[in-house]
Amino acid sequence: MKTELDKNHEAHRMQGAEGAAMATAGGTAEGSGAVATEPPVFRTEGLTVYYGDFAAVRDVNLTLSPREITAFIGPSGCGKSTVLRCFDRMNDLIPTARVEGLVEYHGVNLYAREVDAVEVRRRIGMVFQKPNPFPKSIYDNLAFGPRLNGIRKKSELDAIVESSLQRAALWDEVKDRLKSSAMGLSGGQQQRLCIARCVAVEPDVILMDEPCSALDPIATARIEDLMQELKKQFTIIIVTHNMQQAARVSDKTAFFTTEFSIAGDRRTGVLVEFDSTRTIFSTPSDERTEAYITGRFG
Amino acid sequence: MTELRKTFHSELAEVHAELMRIGAQVIEAIPRATRVLLEMDLEGADYMIQGDDEIDSRCIDVEESCYRILALQSPVASDLRAVITALKLTSEIERSGDLAVNICKAARRIYGHDLNPKLRGLITKMGEQAQHLFASAMEAYDESDAAKAAAVDDMDNFLDDLQRQFIQVIFESHSSGTIDLPVAVQLAVVARFYERIGDHAVNIGEKVRYLVSGWMPEHVGAVRHRLRQDPTPVGGIPAPTPDGPGAAEQA
Repeated sequence: MKTELDKNHEAHRMQGAEGAAMATAGGTAEGSGAVATEPPVFRTEGLTVYYGDFAAVRDVNLTLSPREITAFIGPSGCGKSTVLRCFDRMNDLIPTARVEGLVEYHGVNLYAREVDAVEVRRRIGMVFQKPNPFPKSIYDNLAFGPRLNGIRKKSELDAIVESSLQRAALWDEVKDRLKSSAMGLSGGQQQRLCIARCVAVEPDVILMDEPCSALDPIATARIEDLMQELKKQFTIIIVTHNMQQAARVSDKTAFFTTEFSIAGDRRTGVLVEFDSTRTIFSTPSDERTEAYITGRFG
Repeated sequence: MTELRKTFHSELAEVHAELMRIGAQVIEAIPRATRVLLEMDLEGADYMIQGDDEIDSRCIDVEESCYRILALQSPVASDLRAVITALKLTSEIERSGDLAVNICKAARRIYGHDLNPKLRGLITKMGEQAQHLFASAMEAYDESDAAKAAAVDDMDNFLDDLQRQFIQVIFESHSSGTIDLPVAVQLAVVARFYERIGDHAVNIGEKVRYLVSGWMPEHVGAVRHRLRQDPTPVGGIPAPTPDGPGAAEQA
């Protein structure tokens, strides 16, 4: 399974590289704004998630590009977290949850029988609403994933710990107390530690589910700033209730809302509009998006 | 559907309403200025000049309200466009009021000189047309009517023609000795004031189109500029063409 994900990921990247090479050969001068379209990281088609017999979100079609930040916004119950959890198969952990439709990761069907959910989660990291450091030292929190992956050499682990903390903009604050408990850090530091822990296993994608809702504005600003650094290397999807945050940090925004199902008895989540963040927050094309972001709907 | 930001949206509505009220003052000021000019009404001219201070001060208040809304309410989408449009409209409306005042000041400068019926007729027509344009633009704003707003641009051609005719008549009147040179110059300037009011009305129309759809006339020019810089197709896709509503007539 690992080989299949690897193979496809590589093939996908190659395709992108070839595309770029072809575009250059085709005479598109550099600097003319020519951007070879890289194959998407995720693609969903008719994605519907059921909890029991209830469709929490239905018919979601999304294509997410590499090294972009995509924000999912929408009222409570619109299915944005549910869709997010499809990308690392966290819904598998909910006994009644069932996924229909296609979720492709670098061209591989994530829900194919041979795909190992644990391997998926190694490549696709997640940061949760509430910082959840392990009750261990800062160092051990970061070394945890790499150790699981078989790295034993201290010098190697040291290097990973340092570079992960650097990338999460936390190194300077904790470098002198790596052996102290991660639980002693402030909320914002704990959340950055969780991001560092996520980064330590060199994932491809980072999923963030309301990563700043428990943080104060300064810690929030730090994380938002950090996201801009991280997106140079990772693809990021963030679920947020804070529309201004979505506007500030993301390249693309997907707006979900709830609608009565065809049976008309319960509300189910739908994707209304997916476009560049600039368009969504200046001239959205769907009236429902407009109504939601301007507060004319609730 | 429940309104969630009542206070904020009522603030936006008040900005709109206040701009309409100031706009109405300008709509009234244009024929008054024409009357001052034709009747050489010096008292009326003073009254108009003082009245402009009120327009200025109300425009400043609207502008400050917009700044406050931007700073405190973080408007987005149509709300953001509403604030930006209001900000831009204040300067268009305020300037149009100034131009009406300028016509009155010109009336003071040509006081005591008779104007022949041909000149008087054209001044009346220019005044009416300028007022009509300005009123149409404000109506388009009031109704957020992009089609009506786009029509203002076409209507402006008529005012431009009137101005050209008027200049011609000034030349004729001067060569036939009906008016002397300083008066001729003042009248030419007056014609320019009316014509500028028309231009401001066109600008208001454009801002209304931005309010409705996010379209700006400058987009067309920006695309042309980009094409001149680099006409090569990008990634095999033909170079973009100026598009968006109204692109055809602008190109």
